[in-house]
Amino acid sequence: MKILTTLKKVVDVELNIKVKNGAIVEEGLQYVMNAWDENAVEASVQLKENKGAETTLISIGGGDNTDIIRKAYAMGIENGIHIDDPALTKADSFVYARILQKVYEKGKYDLVITGKQAQDTDNGQTGIILAQYLGLPCVSNVISIEVMDEQHIKVSRLGDVGTEIVELELPAVVTVSDSINQPRLPVLRGIMMAKKKTIKVMDLATLGTSKDEVGGAAPKSEIVEFIAPEARKGGQKFEGDVAEITARVVDLLANEAKVF
Amino acid sequence: MAKVLVIAEIKQGVLKGSTAQLLSKAKAIGAETAVVAIGSNIELLIPNLVNAGSDTQYIADDPGLELFSAGPYSSCVVDAAKQFGADMIWFGFSESGKTVAPRVAAQLSAACATDITDVMFKGDQIEVIRPAIANKVMQRVKVNTKQLVAVVRAGAFDATEGISGTKNVVKLSSPAPDLKAVIRQIISEASGDIDLADANIVISVGRGAKDQAGVDLVKELANDLEAGFGSSRAMVDGGFMPHYKQVGQTGKIVAPTLYIAIGISGAIQHVAGMKGSKVILAVNKDPEAPIFNVSDYGIVGDLFEVVPILRAEIKKIRS
Repeated sequence: MKILTTLKKVVDVELNIKVKNGAIVEEGLQYVMNAWDENAVEASVQLKENKGAETTLISIGGGDNTDIIRKAYAMGIENGIHIDDPALTKADSFVYARILQKVYEKGKYDLVITGKQAQDTDNGQTGIILAQYLGLPCVSNVISIEVMDEQHIKVSRLGDVGTEIVELELPAVVTVSDSINQPRLPVLRGIMMAKKKTIKVMDLATLGTSKDEVGGAAPKSEIVEFIAPEARKGGQKFEGDVAEITARVVDLLANEAKVF
Repeated sequence: MAKVLVIAEIKQGVLKGSTAQLLSKAKAIGAETAVVAIGSNIELLIPNLVNAGSDTQYIADDPGLELFSAGPYSSCVVDAAKQFGADMIWFGFSESGKTVAPRVAAQLSAACATDITDVMFKGDQIEVIRPAIANKVMQRVKVNTKQLVAVVRAGAFDATEGISGTKNVVKLSSPAPDLKAVIRQIISEASGDIDLADANIVISVGRGAKDQAGVDLVKELANDLEAGFGSSRAMVDGGFMPHYKQVGQTGKIVAPTLYIAIGISGAIQHVAGMKGSKVILAVNKDPEAPIFNVSDYGIVGDLFEVVPILRAEIKKIRS
């Protein structure tokens, strides 16, 4: 089984994010592997370890993605491709999906595993659109993957009213929830080995496509500006005698907030 | 006049409140409205669909549509969108919506925006507002295509009182089943529960409850208030609460009238799932817990002490 895992480099959401004049203030930001992609990497590596799958990652994005690719290597991914092209700055989910489609078609994979969304955009679209472009079956928000035979996997997904059990014919695309696993921390030996591995870096031309062909020249949507959200402020916090303050708060809920 | 197609949110045979909310917003921006309802034995919901504010009802009613399957559902939406000539296609905030919307957009070559909190026309061009980066920023997004497929964030739009529509039923032909992604079973843990997405009051329990006894204690408060009972990630990971109860960016996003966070520290992923609530009360023994920074009311105290008093005081004030 050949697995393709997607990897995006994104802003660290644990840090403070400031907005000024419609843009995000770059100063003080740090960039990390998308958290949901860590789950995708872990799921792929588990399939390598338990089922002998061959694992390849694909990272798209202008700039240096070496650190996150090496981290995925250290976690156990075997091969890596980085599509680095300045034409990608305004790419939307559809453009990413078209590029992934090109990579997929060159490699003939059995299973594509993506994180269910990227923590910078929170769109949650790319993997699903990729499946649509490829005409492959797809399940999103997956919390377990079980290999049934060479042509089938069984996945469970968190749906609206419970856990949905779906059998997928391979090749297929799944997008994973962070509930699927606990991503491993790379060990020293893995980190040392990862440093020696090569990363195949390509631009769109080397991939055999162009900005126009992947829709990069005319994205379907684009961000006009960033806006600082209306911050919720802390209100009244009560400390002291628990019976007294609890009664006080219930009174406020009823008579000030009028929620009872 | 713009045309907005709303996907009816039906859970276990019941039409959810999001449908009227989305149709109300569509009417408020002057659009012609239609709704598409997909499922099995749903024709009896047609009066509800009309009352929710739709002027045309596309109905895909087939035994094969009883269990949710993204492929056939997206075919139904695409069919209705084409027949109606929809400029915008809106889903309520649900897992099914989030997985079907990008498929529909790809099939129609339309733009796709998830999690929108507002939508407007700038001349002929559609713009939306949506949160990103774990709710730390909002984006204003310009849509370059004629058509937009959107998933609307829970609680973003209010239903207009007294809204109604006209009955004009169009039956859709049954879609082919997805033979490559066969839904075998839905393990519904939710029967009899109050749906978090619909509840007026949501109470969530966190790590501070420690174990099952703590969870049960907080659940009694939820029962008293007929509240939806949610959870932080920690209690799901600990096996004390089921996955579908998790409130947060990666679980359910809720926007009730009152949200009560009990024993929850307030990690950003959790806050992202509840900060749209009208009023927030937090109970936590750590006065420095970040949850207090987003709460309208805070009680600093041990939940094992506070919850029984809370129950008694609420009973008193309600009687």
